Amino acid sequence: MDLERELRALAGEIAWPQTPPLQPTLAPRGRDLRRPLIAAVALALAALAAAFAVPQSRAAILRFLHLGGATIEFVSTLPRAQEAPLSSNLGPTVSVPDARTLLRGSLLLPRLAPQAPLHAQGQVVSLLFLKDGQEVLLSEANTGSAVFLKKLASSATNATAVQVGPDPGLWLSGAPHVVFFPGAPARLAGNVLIWQHGTLTLRLEGRNLTEADALEMAAALR
Amino acid sequence: MEGRPRDERELARRAQRGDARAFEELVEPHREIAFRVAYLITRNPTEAEDAVQEALLKLWRTLARFRVGAPLRPWLLRITANEARNRRRSSGRLERLTLRAAAVSSGEAAPSPEEAAVAADDRLRLLAALEALAEPARLVLECRYLLELSEEETAAALALRRGTVKSRTSRALAQLREAYGSRA
Repeated sequence: MDLERELRALAGEIAWPQTPPLQPTLAPRGRDLRRPLIAAVALALAALAAAFAVPQSRAAILRFLHLGGATIEFVSTLPRAQEAPLSSNLGPTVSVPDARTLLRGSLLLPRLAPQAPLHAQGQVVSLLFLKDGQEVLLSEANTGSAVFLKKLASSATNATAVQVGPDPGLWLSGAPHVVFFPGAPARLAGNVLIWQHGTLTLRLEGRNLTEADALEMAAALR
Repeated sequence: MEGRPRDERELARRAQRGDARAFEELVEPHREIAFRVAYLITRNPTEAEDAVQEALLKLWRTLARFRVGAPLRPWLLRITANEARNRRRSSGRLERLTLRAAAVSSGEAAPSPEEAAVAADDRLRLLAALEALAEPARLVLECRYLLELSEEETAAALALRRGTVKSRTSRALAQLREAYGSRA
């Protein structure tokens, strides 16, 4: 037998280490999968906790959570990003009917008097309003499972599975994370609630936003 | 270059639009080979796993630059091997390749017990000779023959030109032949 044939024969005899499950942890999506989605998000968070509990050599292990049109990647080192006003890069103002059309009829709004102006940037409709004197940014996109929003977070950012009524959500708090909106430079973001309502993905952000306030505001959207 | 399977192209398009499930399906067929490439470089299963995890995320982030219809595997192997090289520890014990117990004990292709014993011994000697080669020679042979990567895939994984893969393979085979013995 020549050497090359012997080497090829050897290939089948090697005791390779078992290939570990290498897929990133993802949550299923879809309007009919709300309960499994909650479970999957919980599992993903458990995997995340386990990943960060292991030694330094595993520090770079990355998981990402996917909820509606938002992806949250947990990384060992955050990219450079600066704080920016919540009002930056929201895009031009649009009328409520235009915003509703952009979101395929799924626009959800807080009850405000007077109504604050809506903005649109790409597929994202945004509304900046005041809650107890603090600025709160509401962002919505109707992209189904297609990602329109990416976030990079470190292990110092806490991710908690929550529910907004029957809808699955994630509450991100603790250390700021980096957010990438379409058409805007990366910036630091503080506490954020993200949730999925049918094919609509919504996000509430505020400098001093608490989980209770965020959940209350989210539940009051109509 | 022949076109990719229709479903791979469709999965790539969906993944580029942000469909994470499609991304999972797209990379699943390459999971094992990526891990083994990383293992051959790091010689450490934990480092290899980390390398592939990070490579998958880099692939996900850069998928918009992927040309649908092009082969995904060389691209994934290139990213994985880069990550593996970055993670390889200069100190610490590197694992050596070993043979499956059945392969050592049975000499599966041999017709008699005596021939089986000789065949098993040959496999052990060949593996030892392979493992004793300098790393560039060892890696190119392991990629080409143990993982059965194409020249293009080997070039991607080892960050070499295709012509270099060819010439290095030829030289490495000559070195191995000399080390293994004239019977080969």
